[in-house]
Amino acid sequence: MVKAIEIHDLCKSYRGVQVVQGVSFSVEPGEIFGIVGPNGAGKTTTMEIMEGLRKRDGGQVSVLGLDPKVNGQELRQRVGIQFQSTSIQEKLRVKEALSLFSSFYRKVGNVDQLVQSLGLTPYMNVYFKDLSGGWKQRVTLALAALHDPEILFLDEPSTGLDPHARRDMWRLITQFRDQGVTIILTTHYMEEAEKLCDRVAMFNKGSIVALDTPSRLVTQLSRSKFVMFNSEGCDEKVLEKIPGVQRVQKEHGNIRVYAGDLQEVSRLIFELAKARQWEIVAFRFEQGTLDDLFVNLSEGDGQHQRVAASIDN
Amino acid sequence: MDNISALLRLSTIETKLFFREKQAVFWTFLFPILMIWLFGEMFGKTQVAGMSYSDAYVPSWIAVNILTTALFTIGTTLSAYRQMGVMRRLMATPVRPWVVLAAHMVYGMIIFFISAMVMVIFGVLLFHLDMPKYPANTVLALLLSVLRIFPFGFLMPSLEKNVRTASAISSLLLNLMLFLSGATFPLAIMPRFLQGVAKVLPLYYVIDLLRNTWNFTPIASNMTDVWVLLFVMIASSALAAKFFRWDAS
Repeated sequence: MVKAIEIHDLCKSYRGVQVVQGVSFSVEPGEIFGIVGPNGAGKTTTMEIMEGLRKRDGGQVSVLGLDPKVNGQELRQRVGIQFQSTSIQEKLRVKEALSLFSSFYRKVGNVDQLVQSLGLTPYMNVYFKDLSGGWKQRVTLALAALHDPEILFLDEPSTGLDPHARRDMWRLITQFRDQGVTIILTTHYMEEAEKLCDRVAMFNKGSIVALDTPSRLVTQLSRSKFVMFNSEGCDEKVLEKIPGVQRVQKEHGNIRVYAGDLQEVSRLIFELAKARQWEIVAFRFEQGTLDDLFVNLSEGDGQHQRVAASIDN
Repeated sequence: MDNISALLRLSTIETKLFFREKQAVFWTFLFPILMIWLFGEMFGKTQVAGMSYSDAYVPSWIAVNILTTALFTIGTTLSAYRQMGVMRRLMATPVRPWVVLAAHMVYGMIIFFISAMVMVIFGVLLFHLDMPKYPANTVLALLLSVLRIFPFGFLMPSLEKNVRTASAISSLLLNLMLFLSGATFPLAIMPRFLQGVAKVLPLYYVIDLLRNTWNFTPIASNMTDVWVLLFVMIASSALAAKFFRWDAS
């Protein structure tokens, strides 16, 4: 099958600073492909190069078989772009925005149906500036999708949205995928990447540090398999002596025990608890999340980038 | 044609948006009338170089209005759009950059045309303004002047990152030209040095050409003005094209 996107050894620097160095990946048609990473990791630059809005310094990029550097205009007839922080004219009514943007494309899809599926019908006569964040985001999504693009580029589509609006956004993105649209999105939210993306590329300092399905990333790469429970009386010094235990964390009576063989360690924990009369509440197995993984990966090079990785917590 | 329909749609929308800013509309059209009235009260009875007050000053205020439209109507819109990312959003569609800029030219021309009409009507009603002696020539002169002056509107917001600095520089430029280009005070009363400065300012030639075609001679007799305007038009368009920036970063 022909790839929707193929990137090989992409490089870009600004004023001597290498912001993207040797990035390679490809995206299958119909995939939701996530790009995650801290601020300044090169996510947005990579997106803008794929969209033909920035020129690359080196490497090969092919989007729908076109080179964005050469065929930017033609490419943008076939892809849709949603930015994170751009606006449209403030006093433009929603319906005017839709008709204005429609005039930019050779062919336009079924805009009425798009408006309906995004729930924009009651807002058609409202000024863009009077909409709330979530509705603005829907309008810009409609503007990105009104020409039935084959690929949708979404730059942090749910940043700044409340949890409800975020869930709505996920549903809408999934709907586009179900119609066969390939989706490339960047995000800060590991939860978003986990729930939404078929595959995730983790960027750090201009390179890809990991690329796989979210669940495989977690199981294969996670160094953080642990059991978790609440117990007031329990003594972590004793837990650390259990054979096979790698590490114990205790915070306000919330305990995490990291180990290779979780089943055997759990049995031993319960034996100890019975002998020493600890009360154990809410015992559960945890696999770690992309969040943990991300912090691990970006700390792996000796730099502490926890802040960037866990903004959302 | 894709480009033409996009151009029409964009110019229509921008004009519509202009009229949604009620205060901007009020001041844009009131300012020139106010100036004509004010100077009319002061010099209404005097003759300027063989012209009546209104025959000399209505054309020159129309000329000034080309500059205010460029700097404030077009310029302010563009720098606000750049700041908000509207330009960046447009560049993420297949629309061609020249279509966006041309749309802002067209929209500027519409606003300018309305304010020129307002000034002419006001001049006729209050100060017995005569109609242009060579109407077709006057229209041609206006078109040339508009093409000459409007690139300033693209250039100014590009040179300054900050909206406020841009508008401060625009104000300075406007005031300088108001007093030195013969738009407000006759050049004859100024020292020779300032008369020399005036001839460097592009607005001087715009005013000269408009006044002449309005009152005395057809455009063919004013080719110096025409050549200067054409030359500066090409130069400033080239500068605007070189320095125009689509986003604020």
